[in-house]
Amino acid sequence: MKKIKTLAVTGATAILLTFGMSSAMAYDGTKCKASGNCWEAKPGFPEKIKGSKFDPKHSQTELDKQTSAMEAMEARNAKRVENFKQTGKWSY
Amino acid sequence: MREKKLSRLTKTGSAALVSSVIGMMTVGVAFANDKLVELQKDEANWVMQGKNYSADHYSSSKQINKKNVSKLAPSWTFSTGVLSGHEGAPLVIGDMMYIHSPFPNNTFAINLKDPGTIVWEHKPKQDPAARAVACCDVVNRGLAYWPGDDKTPAMILKSQLDGHVVALNAETGAVHWQVENGDISVGQTQTQAPFVVKDLVIQGSSGAELGVRGYVTAFDIHTGEMVWRWYATGPDDEIGLAKDFNSANPHYGQKDLGLKTWEDEAWKIGGGTNWGWYAYDPDLEMFYYGSGNPAPWNETMRPGDNKWTMTIWGRDADTGLAKFGYQKTPHDEWDYAGVNVMMLSEQKDKSGKMRKLLTHPDRNGIIYTLDRETGDLVSADKMDDTANWVKKVDLETGLPIRDPEFSTRMGHRSRDICPSAMGFHNQGMDSYDPERQLFYLGLNHLCMDWEPFMLPYRAGQFFVGANVWSYPGPKGDRQRGIGSGQVKAYNAITGEFAWEKMEKFSIWGGTMATAGGLVFYGTLDGFIKARDADNGDLLWKFKLPSGAIGHPMTYTHDGIQYVAINYGVGGWPAVGLVFDLNDPSAGLGAVGAFKELARNTQMGGGLMVFALDGKGPYDDLSVGEYEM
Repeated sequence: MKKIKTLAVTGATAILLTFGMSSAMAYDGTKCKASGNCWEAKPGFPEKIKGSKFDPKHSQTELDKQTSAMEAMEARNAKRVENFKQTGKWSY
Repeated sequence: MREKKLSRLTKTGSAALVSSVIGMMTVGVAFANDKLVELQKDEANWVMQGKNYSADHYSSSKQINKKNVSKLAPSWTFSTGVLSGHEGAPLVIGDMMYIHSPFPNNTFAINLKDPGTIVWEHKPKQDPAARAVACCDVVNRGLAYWPGDDKTPAMILKSQLDGHVVALNAETGAVHWQVENGDISVGQTQTQAPFVVKDLVIQGSSGAELGVRGYVTAFDIHTGEMVWRWYATGPDDEIGLAKDFNSANPHYGQKDLGLKTWEDEAWKIGGGTNWGWYAYDPDLEMFYYGSGNPAPWNETMRPGDNKWTMTIWGRDADTGLAKFGYQKTPHDEWDYAGVNVMMLSEQKDKSGKMRKLLTHPDRNGIIYTLDRETGDLVSADKMDDTANWVKKVDLETGLPIRDPEFSTRMGHRSRDICPSAMGFHNQGMDSYDPERQLFYLGLNHLCMDWEPFMLPYRAGQFFVGANVWSYPGPKGDRQRGIGSGQVKAYNAITGEFAWEKMEKFSIWGGTMATAGGLVFYGTLDGFIKARDADNGDLLWKFKLPSGAIGHPMTYTHDGIQYVAINYGVGGWPAVGLVFDLNDPSAGLGAVGAFKELARNTQMGGGLMVFALDGKGPYDDLSVGEYEM
């Protein structure tokens, strides 16, 4: 009986410790590595997702499409502006 | 790849920047800006969406006041011929009113002496595919005005959903120039009203729900030439940080964080678009706005603080370089996009020191007040005590102290998070009464459940990664789907609320305050209301043809003060009604929250204009009649 009681107390303590530790480790945004850099991985989650089960495995081609689109727009706009400055008429 | 990008910036950004700064030194530029400042002070006009550069949305007009507001009645109306959500408000300059519509983004000019006759209209032909990449209905938040100078006539500036910025001759409606500022094939759209400072047209970006990396761009009003463009994420020289960036508050973070707070190249698809409201201080020559949510919504997919999304920016208008940036919600987990209105005021702080302040009611449930010269955090109060993701904001560090119980993560459905993704405050243009030193806040009272999921990025496709179920907060009626709105009067110095009222639905469009002691606003279910600015008592209301998600405005013409508001239900809260959706998690979680709305209003689109006893241009029966 005493043994069971001891086990129960030990178990309860372990649960409390686990919860306490979990709470203490939980991400609350206040433990900063440097000014403006305060993110921490949540308990059970990796610091880096690359290679983990949470790796979205983005395509490099897709990642670069916005940059290409912006460069192309800027080039087209620049030509329109140049023509406008030369002719006084806007041509799209 | 990096060198190529920097090379491009050197060619386009820096070169343009130099020509811009030289251009700013000309006398003509200063004259145009001074003219715009003067126009703002004349109550005959409503020359920009925020009413003035302070975006206080406050009119000193008091012909309509507490004693007589009950006599307010329709004077005249205008239909845009377009359905969907009508955000923003018309502009008035002298005898002319300029009205905008949602997609297809038609623009109408009318003469207030006979508003039944359209002087000119601009109906752009847009790629209908733009509709498919719009996040939350096909709204548009309005027009901007530039007063002209000796070489270029006055202009109306507009943004189109398909990514174009267009300058129209204010007198004729002719296109002066039209440039691309977004490519819908990669998910970039525009919903924001342009903002005019000096000879620059400043325009943000939309599309964070499709992984769009946010940017802000300035175009030369005379030629359409890009003067500068800065991003929210990535290398510092693409974000545009001044040498003394955050020198007054180094604990906010300073260098290289647009890369260091992201894993690998996630910043390239990291969101931080800005589609909300801007403000400008002509003395400091700084403008202010907020960058929005990181992408995707699923936080597990983007380790790091994700700078500089969710940031209040103070940038130099001429160069666009940032003097300060304060990130309100580092590593956002709830889509608390930080783009809301920035209202400027001059008030004494608690120590009695007069300060130039910026007050910003954020989606995350906190209303922030900063010193707009330095970025110092002055106060950060909960807009409603039910906000639970955060315990408080530490004013010393600027950091929100999060409650891990309401965090979100893969493999877990988080419940009863307040506010919901729609925020306790969204795109509403609110107001500040300098006499009463009160901010009048149109609020949402919405909470949510949130469950993330994984997905790969595909340019031009939705990149959200979370299912959301929004519903009225604890003070509302969750079962009936009502009680999702509030209106409050807030003192930023004491942190106290002078009064607060519950509303049936979210107050999405914002408030307007007047020296008549009144606070006006529209409701989703289609009322325009006026409350007593001192105690919140309801003094007047009128049922509009459709729900209102725009903000009221006022102007005086031929001696009569008018109050006007757009009607046309839509926008994020009404996507279920607009697109006939029934799944409660559809519409990024909005459908369930507003399931009751369709029993209160239906779609429409137009403008209603009110005056005491319904006075107006058609009191003279000959106006608008056929003349031989």
